[in-house]
Amino acid sequence: MTGSRKTVYLDYAATTPVDPRVAARMAECLTQEGAFGNPGSTSHDYGEAARALVEAARVRVAAAVGAAPADIVWTSGATEANNLALFGVAIYQRDTGRHIVTARTEHKAVLDPCRELERRGWSVTYLKPGSGGLLDPAQVAAALKPDTVLVSIMHVNNEIGVIQDIAAIAAVCAAHGTVRLHVDAAQSIGKCPLDFARLGLDLLSLSAHKSYGPKGVGALVVSRTRGVQLQALQFGGGQERDLRSGTVATHQVVGMGAAFELASAEQAAETARVALLRERLWRGLGSLKGVLRNGEPEHTAAQLLNVSFEGIEGESLLAAVRPFIAVSTGSACTSSNQEPSYVLRALGRDERLAESSLRFSLGRFTSEAEVDAAVAAVGEAVTRLRRVAGSPRTAS
Amino acid sequence: MNYSDLTWRHFENPRCAGVLSGAAVRRGAGGSRAQGTWVQFDVRISSRNQESRVEAVRFLAYACPHVIAVADWVAQKAVGGPTEPVLPESVHALRERFEVPIEKLGRLLIVEDAWIAALSPPYRETAA
Repeated sequence: MTGSRKTVYLDYAATTPVDPRVAARMAECLTQEGAFGNPGSTSHDYGEAARALVEAARVRVAAAVGAAPADIVWTSGATEANNLALFGVAIYQRDTGRHIVTARTEHKAVLDPCRELERRGWSVTYLKPGSGGLLDPAQVAAALKPDTVLVSIMHVNNEIGVIQDIAAIAAVCAAHGTVRLHVDAAQSIGKCPLDFARLGLDLLSLSAHKSYGPKGVGALVVSRTRGVQLQALQFGGGQERDLRSGTVATHQVVGMGAAFELASAEQAAETARVALLRERLWRGLGSLKGVLRNGEPEHTAAQLLNVSFEGIEGESLLAAVRPFIAVSTGSACTSSNQEPSYVLRALGRDERLAESSLRFSLGRFTSEAEVDAAVAAVGEAVTRLRRVAGSPRTAS
Repeated sequence: MNYSDLTWRHFENPRCAGVLSGAAVRRGAGGSRAQGTWVQFDVRISSRNQESRVEAVRFLAYACPHVIAVADWVAQKAVGGPTEPVLPESVHALRERFEVPIEKLGRLLIVEDAWIAALSPPYRETAA
């Protein structure tokens, strides 16, 4: 669906539009005049041209996260990267141990593979964060067992924006010995600094389309220096160090490389600008009575604001604001099922409050005028629905 | 979720949202906020020539757009009608009229519960 002109897009955590500068680079790879060759075809110039672009993109993505270019394994997105990390480590190390540690607030792209591994005989510990969404690294330490082979913790939560203390968790894992640490960083690029090598991470999942790149491409960063070994899940050509067979989509990875390069270059300025807009949004929404902010504000990424509205039924809230703003009630990947956010439930919000919560995610193209329009639209909706509900809480 | 034009009109502008008070007003409610759907009807009864009629209806609803729309429609349609504890249309007819998904049938039954509660003895009258 194409949004109407007056609809304000505040769902950048679900996906972002491709930056026009990125789209231009991608287009150069598609047509006869461009680098359309198969990057695996090194017997002619067409293939070599494409391969050069793929390797240049690999350098750009690696630089954005502090990894070595050889660590980058292209995937179709963060979901595939998460699957490759979890199943890849679990299967490769199945004779060493079969225990995994993760958190209840992870993305479904981590939780669902964990459930599947449980069905196949692995055991998984699901840590419960505090009410603000933060994990205590001591929880991770306490959960580790002699047969733990993998810890998987996301960097920036996709629903509430809370930033986990990855450095401290990495230190816990390092102290334990051979346990591998996987971090889902789909929401991090261009928003929060992350240095793969300096933090001593083993695996890192990345997505292009959350950072103004195209959908359908991502990467799993696999540390060579730390000797991480994975079982491949896809076969047929041996591309990507035998870890991910299949023709590399030149235009997609070129787009990801360009997007990550831009995100890194503009991170400081963009984060500062978006943080001001987010606080402007919160000041506006917070002036309504009965509005609760989810996630610890001082540990939340600049682009995200998740709030619960007391005294309003969730479906009606979303319907009332839909003509004016594009927001989410939770993860875009799960919100179609109309269930209250499992992330907010894990934080202790009751079912009704979890249902009547909205995730606002701001981005590169968000303006002050759009934020003000969103505040006005939500204020009107909240006032009307509380009046209809006869709720004790009324908008001021 | 998509809503029919009729649902959207009543949801966006629920003209009968509110409460009534007075000796001739009967109040009934169904469902619960804790369970996610709650509806209350206030029904003012007029009696002339030993005949009772619904004179005015107001409702409150903590509910989804479908339930708000149906409650508003019922509140409008019932005016001038009899005071029996029967909806102006059956729940199934309302479901078709508003194109309510079958999985929400239970929520429409809460609208019916609230209407029946308002117009069934023992009457619960609102304060004057």
